[in-house]
Amino acid sequence: MKKHMILLVLAVSCIPLALFAQGTKEKPEASQRSITVYAYDSFVSEWGPGPIVVPEFEKASGIDVTLVSAGNGGELLGTLELERHNPQADVVIGISNELLHETLATDLLLPYRSPALDDIPEFLHFDQTNTLLPFDYGNYAFVYDSTKIQNPPQSLDDLLDPKWEKHIILMDPRTSSVGMGLLEWTVAVYGEEYLQWWERVKPNILTIADGWSSGYGLFTEGEAPLVISYTTSPVYHLLYEDTDRYRALVFDQGNMAVIEGVGIVASSQDIEAAQAFVDFLLTDAQSAIATANIMYPVNVTTKLPNAFSLVPKPEHSLMLDGETIARNRDRWLDEWVEVMSR
Amino acid sequence: MNRKEGKDILDTSRFYRALGTPAMLLLTFLFLIPLSIILGKAFVDVDGGLSLERLQAMLSDPYTWRILRFTLVQALVSTLVSVAIGLPGAYLLATYRFRGKGIIKAICTIPFVLPSILVVLGFVIFYGNNGMINQAIMTILGTDTPPLKILYTFAAVILAHAFYNFPIALGLISSFWEQLPSRYNHAAMTLGARRWTIFRTVTLPRLVPAILSASTLIFLFCFSSFAILLVLGGGPRFTTLEVEIYRRARMTLDIEGAAALSILSIVITLVLVAIHIWTQKLMTHQEEIERIDERRLERRPSSFTGRVAVMGYMVFSVVFVLGPLLGIVYRSFQAPVSRSGDLAFSLRWYRQLFGLEEVAGSALGTAVTALLSSLTIALVTSIVSLTIGTMLAARLRRTNRKRALSMELYAMLPMAVSSVVVGLGYYLVSSAIVGGRAVGITLVVLAHVVITSPFVLRSILPEYRKIPFSYTQASLTLGANVSQTFRRVELPLLRPAMATGAAFAFAISMGEINATLVLADSSISTVPIVMYRLIGSYNFAGACALGTILMVCCAIVFAFTETMKRS
Repeated sequence: MKKHMILLVLAVSCIPLALFAQGTKEKPEASQRSITVYAYDSFVSEWGPGPIVVPEFEKASGIDVTLVSAGNGGELLGTLELERHNPQADVVIGISNELLHETLATDLLLPYRSPALDDIPEFLHFDQTNTLLPFDYGNYAFVYDSTKIQNPPQSLDDLLDPKWEKHIILMDPRTSSVGMGLLEWTVAVYGEEYLQWWERVKPNILTIADGWSSGYGLFTEGEAPLVISYTTSPVYHLLYEDTDRYRALVFDQGNMAVIEGVGIVASSQDIEAAQAFVDFLLTDAQSAIATANIMYPVNVTTKLPNAFSLVPKPEHSLMLDGETIARNRDRWLDEWVEVMSR
Repeated sequence: MNRKEGKDILDTSRFYRALGTPAMLLLTFLFLIPLSIILGKAFVDVDGGLSLERLQAMLSDPYTWRILRFTLVQALVSTLVSVAIGLPGAYLLATYRFRGKGIIKAICTIPFVLPSILVVLGFVIFYGNNGMINQAIMTILGTDTPPLKILYTFAAVILAHAFYNFPIALGLISSFWEQLPSRYNHAAMTLGARRWTIFRTVTLPRLVPAILSASTLIFLFCFSSFAILLVLGGGPRFTTLEVEIYRRARMTLDIEGAAALSILSIVITLVLVAIHIWTQKLMTHQEEIERIDERRLERRPSSFTGRVAVMGYMVFSVVFVLGPLLGIVYRSFQAPVSRSGDLAFSLRWYRQLFGLEEVAGSALGTAVTALLSSLTIALVTSIVSLTIGTMLAARLRRTNRKRALSMELYAMLPMAVSSVVVGLGYYLVSSAIVGGRAVGITLVVLAHVVITSPFVLRSILPEYRKIPFSYTQASLTLGANVSQTFRRVELPLLRPAMATGAAFAFAISMGEINATLVLADSSISTVPIVMYRLIGSYNFAGACALGTILMVCCAIVFAFTETMKRS
């Protein structure tokens, strides 16, 4: 009996072996067109936009879509890079403007001038080569607790006021994209003098969290009344908790924008199907994406739930171009760590 | 010894050698190969050629040494504090007989299986400036400013690490202590020594291996700490190697740099694992072990001060461990009730969790399915892990020393590698294998087996080594064959250790997220995944509700194991 047991376990442990040997995925029958889409986890999850958008697209186009969760932010690009010689994806969703330069450098994606781009405002066209197309965007913003603060700060400079001592929760740009967003925001506003802002804001910081999740959690626990997040954060509290206690701050100097992009993988076997999917994302899917992601749609014709109109929308969005980011990111991080760990 | 006897019936080597093979194969394909590919990138220079440039550059950068020094210092302090807190508890558990011992042990294992983000939240809810303790004091004193500023300092980091890890010290040391023969103590007592003298001169020296064993394990866990350190410490003043690895792997896409740093970190953790293995051997080389029931445990401390001390410690440790956990439970029963966002008691999250209330777009609706798949995955994982771990232990029990050490190190490897790097490795695996739901689940289970089997191995192997080989030989001489001996003689003796190992495998699998997220396609969601999605979509209280369910599951499993061990 023990022998059978051993054989069984042996057989089980050979599964990965067999699968490794099999290597590349077999493409389904030619009669059914299909594409594989890589997206970040929350896009794919049951309540994310994926499960709403994909069936609609399949019904409208007759093309099968396999949605794969392939990591967040930089991991998506990393996955594509790791698979360079064994490409699986046709479309990749969720590489932001911050990684534009790196994305173009990999040469893995194919430019596509979607007709839907005509309905998308000019400032969102972050990639002139149309390799990454915008599908939603957000603005970073400080969110405050209105039960604790009556006169909230109106600019980055206001945040330096000593009255906010230990009042602010931030995120580490080395481990959090929101944290990186704020670092870039200060660079966009102050240029090379950005470190002075950081030096002066230090006494006002309660803690610098590893990620948005823990930072925002501390904020809703009431540890501090100011946190870096998105202008759209209050939409959640309005939609699901029916409270307007937490409010986002729009600064006259502008709020840093982050634009999420979608791209077509150059090795795709069915470019046309991939293009049809991208078109769909930029048009019919916009409302579902915005509501599920709690981000702004890029397409101006999109209809949105009322809660979106209750939160302020920045007059202008700040952005740094992809090449500047790519060239300086490591230096900024090093200098930031240096200043902040003193 | 068996080598001398050649090929007669007492030669068991072939049987045991075969037992180790499946585990080694699994480890190689699912862990070692992907890991080597990732780490190999450290040796690639800018032009794609092979060189040591990257490693040299990293090693000559003072920044590397600065964070390495801090990583080691915080791990050392955390370890010392955890052991110092765990030791008195181990004494109580090993000396006295009282009700609820099993429950205490079960509760102590809970922090270990919780995702770090929930621990951070629990800490903030309990110890935070606006936390339960401060709220209570503020209500009593009638002030508006929080009197206790515990968090966001180096001390807070140590406190959180101790919370996570002192239960390890408590569990490991007390179970070893329980088995120390009491007759030396009796002898010393007869000779007129006082209790304290006996502890200092008789017991403590013999506890050293257990203390070292717990310390190395705790050091290992603190070494790769990251979320707790940044959030509760207050920011980048406290940077560990793990943070830098994360920065390179995930934020700046410098996988080569991440690989180089990982090699540095793996070298250090491997040394720790080696020390840990050595201490475990020391523990088994102690002379004969008494069975717990043969050892007469005292009912209660004899002196009044003793009783006060015991009570004091009990209250402290229960508050210390249960406080943050209760914070999570407490928050899960609260929901905003008014437009201004005031919180009040509510079963809302549980109603949503169990599908009594439907809310469009809430991940809580998927929680029951996730719970079922988590339980299934954890059950299968613990069975397979237990099988593999036991077989591996049988293989490693009797081999010549050098080979045994290298094989044991190999088997313990998953414990020593940073989860960020392991995650990258799993991307490789998942891109090589694309399949349906069934393949996804199989991969998740296998990955969990790889992650949990070191824990199973380290709870079984020391016990296995304690079984005198003469038992095996006696059984063989009496006519049983090797496999019968293994099943009828050795396995029954290992039962308590196997129960512990399986419980850990179960709990770790329930709480695992990194590998699951990468390997499972979107159709599979587990409890931790739903928890992260809830937090990602602002629903922290919902995540706390799910965390409460997770804690209850793990506590039940551990309590069940305790009864399994006793029967």
